[in-house]
Order: sequence, then structure tokens, then C-alpha cells
Amino acid sequence: MRESLAGSFVGTSVKRVEDERLLTGAGSYIGDLKVEGMAHAAFLRSPYAHATIERINAAAAQRLPGVIDIITGEEMQAITNPFVPLGMIDGLYTPLFWPLAIDRVRMVGDPIAIVIAESRYIAEDAIQLIEVDYEPLPTVANMAEATRAGAEQIWPRADGNVMFRTEADYGDVDAVFASADRVISETFESHRHSNQPMETRGSLAEVTPDEVIFHSAAQNSHGLRWVLAMATSSEPVLDSVKELAGPGRDKLKAFGAGAKAFITERKDDLGDADNKGFIHQVRHDPTTLKHLGKVFMNVLAQDERRRPRVVADDIGGAFGVKGHPGREDAALLAAALKLNRSIKWIEDRNEHLTVGGMAREETLSVQVAVNDDGELLGLKVDMTMDQGAYPAVPFGAATFAGIMRVMMPGTYRFKAYSMKAAAIASNKAKYVAYRGPWANETWVRERMLDVVARELGLSPTELRLRNMYGVDELPTKMLTGPTLDVRMSAKATLEKAIEVAGIDDFRAAQAKARENGHLLGIGFSTYHEGAPGPPDYADAILPGSGAMMAEPLTTVLEADGTVSVITAQMPHGQSHETTLAQVAADQLGVAMDQVRVIFGDTAKTDFSLLGTGGSRGGPMGGGATLFAARGLRDRILDEAADMLEANRGDLEITDGAIHVAGVPSISKSFAEVAEVVRTRPGSTEPLTGSVEYDGGPGGWVQATHVAFVDIDIETGFVTIPRYVVVEDCGELINPAIVEGQVRGGVAQGVGAVFYEKSAYDDDANFQAGTFMDYLIPTAMEIPDIEIHHLETPSDIEANFRGVGEGGMIGSPAALTNAVEDALAHLGVRITEQHLPPTRILELAGVIAPA
Amino acid sequence: MTDTPTPALRVDPGGRIGVSMTVNGTAISTDVEVRRTLADVLRDDLDLTGTHVGCEHGVCGACTVAVDGQPVRACLLLAVQVDGTEITTIEGLANPDGSLGPLQQAFHDAHGFQCAFCAPGVLITTASLLETNPTPTRDEIKAELSGNLCRCTGYHSIIESVETAVRLTAAGAKSTDGGDEEASNA
Repeated sequence: MRESLAGSFVGTSVKRVEDERLLTGAGSYIGDLKVEGMAHAAFLRSPYAHATIERINAAAAQRLPGVIDIITGEEMQAITNPFVPLGMIDGLYTPLFWPLAIDRVRMVGDPIAIVIAESRYIAEDAIQLIEVDYEPLPTVANMAEATRAGAEQIWPRADGNVMFRTEADYGDVDAVFASADRVISETFESHRHSNQPMETRGSLAEVTPDEVIFHSAAQNSHGLRWVLAMATSSEPVLDSVKELAGPGRDKLKAFGAGAKAFITERKDDLGDADNKGFIHQVRHDPTTLKHLGKVFMNVLAQDERRRPRVVADDIGGAFGVKGHPGREDAALLAAALKLNRSIKWIEDRNEHLTVGGMAREETLSVQVAVNDDGELLGLKVDMTMDQGAYPAVPFGAATFAGIMRVMMPGTYRFKAYSMKAAAIASNKAKYVAYRGPWANETWVRERMLDVVARELGLSPTELRLRNMYGVDELPTKMLTGPTLDVRMSAKATLEKAIEVAGIDDFRAAQAKARENGHLLGIGFSTYHEGAPGPPDYADAILPGSGAMMAEPLTTVLEADGTVSVITAQMPHGQSHETTLAQVAADQLGVAMDQVRVIFGDTAKTDFSLLGTGGSRGGPMGGGATLFAARGLRDRILDEAADMLEANRGDLEITDGAIHVAGVPSISKSFAEVAEVVRTRPGSTEPLTGSVEYDGGPGGWVQATHVAFVDIDIETGFVTIPRYVVVEDCGELINPAIVEGQVRGGVAQGVGAVFYEKSAYDDDANFQAGTFMDYLIPTAMEIPDIEIHHLETPSDIEANFRGVGEGGMIGSPAALTNAVEDALAHLGVRITEQHLPPTRILELAGVIAPA
Repeated sequence: MTDTPTPALRVDPGGRIGVSMTVNGTAISTDVEVRRTLADVLRDDLDLTGTHVGCEHGVCGACTVAVDGQPVRACLLLAVQVDGTEITTIEGLANPDGSLGPLQQAFHDAHGFQCAFCAPGVLITTASLLETNPTPTRDEIKAELSGNLCRCTGYHSIIESVETAVRLTAAGAKSTDGGDEEASNA
């Protein structure tokens, strides 16, 4: 690999640009930052799951030398705004809450006070000296308790503890179910587990005379910026009004013009949106209106020097959890603004395990209407999600329920489908996005298909093949709306997986092993994922949302002739600095080291709602780079044509040299072009190429996973002798990076199924606050993962599909299906996702259920 | 119900003890607070932020540094305990000019890391392993690295990187002997 020379970088495993600093310890992670006069913060957190706060005495702590300030709930309420709901969805009520608990704690770890001190050690000392009187309240530890009559209500304005309800029908569900030979039902439970990046959350609010810079390990700088601006803008309302109505009313006019332009540009798309979510929210809590009005007015009137510029740099993993602005972030910024001093907060692992964010605690009852010959007819799903006490910001469980609703039928020919979903509150930590936040649609569907196959006496692969859309049936539409275009190759991945799995050989080995007391199992799962999805995907989830999913990107020809790719993507392990540079370098005909990827700083990057998430880095970031770089290339060639006095159409770029085709000896470099542009009288703006990339035709990423398990029936320990992934993500930008994403996702699925659980006891006390309780799999537990790539031929440009999440979407189903296959002869049916050794032994009848 | 505060710490926060150590070949003498961990002293006092703190309870291994050649958890060790020792951190694995050292090069060649937060511990653990066992088997590599959690890679690329380092070292030894076999990696 000669990365210094231009060529075709896309499609090759170019070595990572990031490594030079990250492998030598020269990275710049949030914990590494130091600024002048920086103080340190720590949070006092509730030991109770549910209690009222009767009294707080921080006097002794305040007296400790080195303590600068201690802010408790009441004061915090006075200097911040509540988190106002931004993702308002019909059927969803979002309670208003502040950065700190005020008079009531609703979960273990609820932040009660922020201590600011000269060192973290002193801040932690001070925490120990704060006295709090609590009056414990009855707790809500799980979904059954939350919905029990007379259950303690966590949020007074909610319907009991139900925070969200939705229901949708596709096709004539009753008629289809009535027509079926049989209906097979089962209820599945997935357990709370969590992202647990190796770096916890953390931020540094840097206060300078000119601006406030909020450094943070954030997947989405712009989202964090505006959430923080809304939480901390606290100018008195009267001043805000005066400011807005002040001379020229410029701010108000600018905002009005911006809003009008946004709406006008997206009129057709937004036309589908409704305001039912807003009405539902305000009906539950009319004060929402007051707070929304105050927050927006304050943000408009806010002194720009007090509105944070968010800067994210190297991030030690996130997997979704760092896409959610934290209450701690808002408390930190409010404290820094109050004290006019820079303050850093780095979450510790116990905090991250306890309150950093958890995911996927869901119960799903499924009914499948099917004919005896295996023809799938209808699907009914009733899901309840446990979203914990405080909703995630800016969106959480209800949003993911929408994606699950759309994706649940998969690529199978169901004739009718209905889904009901509810999200309840409990005294537990918040429900956040975790790598494929909707992944339980795949787990439950693919698990259920095995159950159906077994009841019908069919093999799981036969049932799938019989009902999956084949390439001859495309394009078509999912029952739920989105188009399955001709590149949708889920069935091809399944066929290939069957071929490489060697099922007959496995069955022979399985039978033989059983004679020797070894239980072997094989499990398949097939899924497709909207990464980025077809153009009609986002609107099927939430009408009107498609218009907001565009990816902004700007390429710039710098004065020295290098090219900057300025992206709203926020890399945190995905290697964007390498992959986006590959795409740009190919478009521009330059070497990799001529391209630099710039990200993370809201002062430099274009606004994006999403940052990095939803497996959008490759398809949206890569696509946006391709088209923006092409635009820049055009402008460079225009300039060079003048300089060379040549026809624009005759020019080509070879290894960074612009010349007439066939005449490489007379050429201009990028630096020479930049120089001409820079010194041109009247205009010093550099050449740029910018896009708001809408994803073009988009498309699906799809894969089939095959897990092989070997169960030691003495210990319940499960090993994975073989694991196969067959995937089609379109064109590969960097195969080594794609494979790393796939393997990492599968590893997290292995962890979820066999090791990890964010356990609470019956009183909602958290039980897994260390890595000795919350087990992250090690190099010993993760199998070698065999990957086969398929690519459906297409002449679509930027035919990149995302791979960040897929590994974790496909693996829980393949693994649990394999365990059931191993234990099926004992009459075992797997209905839960967490299968630690004790549970395996219980299911196998080796030990009695606890 | 009152949450009784635990008694104030008995350690005088101002209490300091002189510590001398050699860090990445440089002799260092410094006064440290008795209660400060080695990880904090390296990161905050010596600005060697390449060593990362992932769990602060000795499980994740991100903070692993070599003390007299032995990999240890810098989060579980007080700085005062390493007086008189020789310490190597991730920064010490680079070439003197700051470019990638041989082990770092192997991890670059084999796409070892993603977010690389675990890298300091993985690299130091690997360096210590190869010191005592220059040709470990795949199973030995897995066992040795089982004390270093990585959340991104599923470990495959890390194990491949260690194997690449083993191959590069073997090839390097050979070429020193006059052999000309070039180590290559996709």
C-alpha cells in the first residue's frame, strides 16, 4: 500500500490516518485536556432508588479547603431550565426535569449536588461530607410493578407509569389471522445491558473572556450545543423580550427568516408532519408551553459569548450513549457560567455503569399466523419498553419504538401486521441508544421464526427461504412502507450463509457429539437495516423527519494546496479520518496525505441533527464527501483551465498534478491553483465544494449471521467454535475497517447474550456497578468471526451502506437460536435474551430454577 | 433517615513524599501526595496522557504500564509505591523521533484498534509478553490479553496485530542474520 501516492483508495484497506497519534499516546481524549485555572467537578448521587429529599447539609463540605462551590438542586433549578421535550411524538409524554434532582430522587445515582473543587480528589472528599436526609418511597423496579394497580407513580402528570403508547395496523390483520391454519404465540424478554465504551462520559467547560468552549466526548457536537444552550440560557424573560424587540429586532428577524427558509425548502416533506405529539405533551403538562417559550426566547436573546461552542476530539468509543447530552453536562456548564471558571468532569466507571445509560429492556409478545406448509401470513407484536426514570435527551425509547415498528416484518412476505408499543417509567437509569437501538425487532422476529419452524416441523432455513423476498420480486415495498429496491439482497446473504455453514456436516457432528455428552447448536438470523435506508424510510418512521436527515459537508482547497474535508460526522472509533480521506482523495486525484478530515467543532462544521449514529458514517459521510469533493474538483479544474489556457474538458489530475491529458509535463499543482485564488484581487475566499447530501437512492445493508455453539452441560458455559457473517453493504470503502466494525458488533452481541446485565434487585437497587459484576467479554470469550462480503452490482454512485451497527443487530438472534438448537431435544424453548451459565443449566434441567 | 457521612480521610491532603523513578528512560524526581495513584501522577503531573484510566478498579487494563518490565495497573498503584523503579508507558514504545515503534507499527499494519482508548494497556501488555515469550501461540496471546478489555474490535485485529509483531520481529532478526525475507501484511 503506497498511501502517499494517489490512486484508487476506495476499496482497499488503507492503513489508518488516526494511528500516528493514537498508537503513540498522543491522542486528545477528553480526560487528557487541561486548561488554565481549571477546577474539577464530582457529583453527589442518590443511594436510594426512590425517595424524597428532606434536607441537605453541605456546610462541612463547603468548609473543606480546596472546595470552590457546591450547587444543589434548588439553586440549580434557579440557574437552569428544564430539559424541554424536543422529539414530541403522538402518544408520548415527556416529563420536565432539571440537571439535578430537586426534591425527589428517582433512581440510584440520581445527581443531587455538583461539587466544584481545586482537584478531583478534594471534590470526592467533599462529597463524603455532605449530609442528606431522605424519606424512602415505594419503588418501581420492573415493568410488571410499574403497571400494577396502585403502583407508586414516578411522574405525577403521567398516566400511571405509562409514558408512551402507540398502535399501528398494516393490512387486514383480523382477516389474515382468521384465514391462517394456525397462530403461534410466544413472549420474549430482553434484558437491560449497556454500551460501556472503554472511555466513560466526560466534559470540560472552558470559560474564556471571549467565549465558552464546551469540550466533550460527544457523538453529536451540534445537538449537544443546542441542548446546552437551551438548558443554561437563563436571562430573565423580560430582558429577553427587550433584547429581541430591541433596535432593528435583528435577532428575531434573523430567526424568523431562518425558520421560514427551512420550512419553505422542505415544505413537501414537512407537509406530512402533524402536531399530535405537541398536543399530547401539552395536554399532560401545560407548563411545557411556558418553559418552551422561555427557553426559546432566552436562547434567541442569549449573549453569544455565553452560548457554548462545542468541541469534540478523540473519543474512546460510545456506541450510542454519547449521542445523548447528559444532565451532568448541563450542570457542569451552569456551574462554570455561574463561577466564571473552567471546570472539568470525568465520569468514573461506577457512575457510567450506574447512570451512564442502559438499553433494550423490552418484553415482546408475538403472534404469527401461518399455514401448515410454512407460508407466513400475519404478525402481531405487543411490546413494552422500560425507559427508566428520566427520559434520554433529546430522544429515547419512543423514537426507537418507531423504527422497530417499521422494521419488525423484516424482508418476509407477511400479508398483515400490527404493532402495539408502550414505554413505562421505572426507578432505573435512562434508556439510551445502543448500537442498533431497534435491534430487538431482529432478535424477536428471527427467534420467533425458529419457534414457528420447530412447531411446523420445518428447518429454520427452509422457513426463511420460503418466505423471504427474492431478487425476482424486487422492487417492492415493505408492508410498513419503505421500498425494497433491487439491491436488497437479504435472501442472497441467507443462501450464501447456508452454503458456507455446511448444515449437513454440522448435523452429523451434532448427533455424534450428543452421544459424548456435548451439546452443539447452530442458529441463523437474517436482517436488513436502513443504513441509510431508501428515500421513503425516515418518513415511514416519523412523518416529516426525512427532511432533517441530510448530511452537510464542505471540502476546501487550503492555501498550501491540501484539501480539508469538514464533516458533521463525529468519529469515535470508526476511522472517518481515513475513510472520508480515501473518498476525497479518489475524487480529487491526490494522495491521502493531501487530505485532512476536520470534525467535532461547532465553530467549524455545518449543523447536523445527528452527528455520527445510525450507521450513517459510510453512506452519508462517504456519499457527502464524494459529491462535495467532486464539486471542489470542478472548481479547481475551472481555475486550472484558465491558468493552463486549456479546455476544461481536456484536463485530468494525476497524483495531484493538473494537466492536459497526455501532456503531464506541463501541469499546475493544487498549491498553485490555491495561490492564484488567494491572491486574486477582490476575492480571497478559498475554493470549496459543499453539499447537503440527502443520501441519494440510499438503500439497505443486509446480512445473515450463523452462530455455532458448544454447551458444556456440566458448567453451563457456552463456547462459540465458529461464527459466520455474510453481509452486503454495497461498495466497501475500506475492507479492514468494515470487518472491524462487523466483528466489534458481534462481540457486543456475545456479551449481551452470555455475560452482560445491568442488574437491579426487586427494590431497584443497582447490582452491577463494577466490571467484576458487569462482565465485558475478553479475548478469551470472543470467537474468530468469519466474514463473507457480497455486493449486488449497481451503477449507483456512492453505493455505500453502513456497517456500524449490524454486527450487534444480527448476533443476539443467531446466538440464542443456536442455544435453542443445542437444547431443543430437551424440550427447551429460549424466550429470553440473557443466557448466563446458570440460566443454561436451569433450562437444561441440570439445576432447579432459582 | 440520614445517610451518615463516612469519617473524613485521615491522610493529610497536603502530605507529600518524594518519589524518584525512571519514566520512558528519563529520570524523574517529584513530590507526590501520598494518596495519588500512579495513573494520576503520570497523566496529570507528568503530562503522559497516553496512559488511560478506564475503570479505576483494576479490571479494564487501559492504565497498564510496565514497572520494571512487569505489566501493572497504574490505577491500583500509589505513585509512592514505585519509588526507585523503571516505568514504561505507551509513549515509551515510540521511536526516539516520535514515529511508530516496531510494536506500534505492527498494530498500524494490522488495523489493530478503533477508538484506541484501550491501546496503552494492550500495547504495554503485549510488549511485556513478547519480552518473555517472543513467539507466543494464538492461545497464549488471547490468555495474556484477557486482562485488557476492548469494546470496539472483538479482539480479532488486536490478536492479528500481535501475530504481525511476532512475524516482523522474526523477520527483523533474520535480516540481521543476513536473511532478506521481508515481512508483509495485507
